[in-house]
Amino acid sequence: MEETELFQTYRETGDLAVRNAIVEKYLYVASVLAKKFVGRGVEYDDLYQVAVLALMKGIDRFDERKGVRFSTFITPTITGEIKNYFRDRSRLVHLPRKVAELRGRVKRESDRIVAETGKAPAPRELAALFGVTEEEIVHCMEAGSVVSLDRPIDGEEGATFYDLIAAGGSDPIESLETRDAVKTALKELSPRERELLGYRFGEELSQTATAKRMNVSQMYVSRLERKVLAKLKESLKGGMA
Amino acid sequence: MKEYLKIEAATFGGIMTTLRLATGGVCSLAGLGLDAGEDCKVCLTESLLLLCHAGYAGARIAFYDDGGLFVHIEATGACGEAAPVPEDEISAALLEALAGSVRMEKNGGRLCGVSFRFESDGRN
Repeated sequence: MEETELFQTYRETGDLAVRNAIVEKYLYVASVLAKKFVGRGVEYDDLYQVAVLALMKGIDRFDERKGVRFSTFITPTITGEIKNYFRDRSRLVHLPRKVAELRGRVKRESDRIVAETGKAPAPRELAALFGVTEEEIVHCMEAGSVVSLDRPIDGEEGATFYDLIAAGGSDPIESLETRDAVKTALKELSPRERELLGYRFGEELSQTATAKRMNVSQMYVSRLERKVLAKLKESLKGGMA
Repeated sequence: MKEYLKIEAATFGGIMTTLRLATGGVCSLAGLGLDAGEDCKVCLTESLLLLCHAGYAGARIAFYDDGGLFVHIEATGACGEAAPVPEDEISAALLEALAGSVRMEKNGGRLCGVSFRFESDGRN
């Protein structure tokens, strides 16, 4: 059947077999367009899936009586869906612009200082240089290690970081087990480490404020926090396996 | 309009990546965001493909600052037999979908140039 005939039949009958024939006929458009957007941090398979869904939606909206060819009509529709997908996805994984910009500047300046002096600059020096707090410097450097929730967890076949997020309204037994595992893991920490967790995640104090309370430097808090979180992660991995 | 860069590609073969990289650089210079920059590269590729299928051997590409980024691509080289493919229609529609002010220049019914523009803030 010709293009116009196919769409006319589908519009008049709503026959899914006809719709499937149209989808098959135009799958190549989805494939061609998905390929155009490869290389922007999203796998081809994901883009193809988005494109095919847009193709299916577009078939229902297309009116062959308007005299436009289907491929001309569907290209902006699929392109729009792919771009929306990028936008939604980037909202999840991108750093805030200010942090990303500062990170770039800090990285460049650090590299320059290392090249000139052979010594990495301290956050304090960088903070003075950029007119920001030490904490902002440390935060922007740590922010570079942001990961996608879709990223697979090493050694955990098929599991992603998304799987680690507790679902809302989860099973109460599972919650109890989780709480128990966390309690056990906390017991393994030193009083100093527990004190830090209390300030940072209980009272939600900044690293600088935590440092003041503990009478230490902000850098010490940053290092200790990293160490404690790594320790907890290891412990919880073992306890909940 | 201030000219950012003008490139003459004598052939399309093996130079596409270089042209795309140069385009990325100009987009950055023009203050386009990452997404708009990538879209601009897609538009350049599609334009060159269209000109290649129209039978041309190469192209002259000029980038201008017109408040945003204005790109003009003009076919050069011997004009051989046009060999359009069904995907040309998708290329043209994709250009319209991604860029603003898309213009297809024709000579005797044959495509000989493409121009388009991007706003600095990514809106088109």
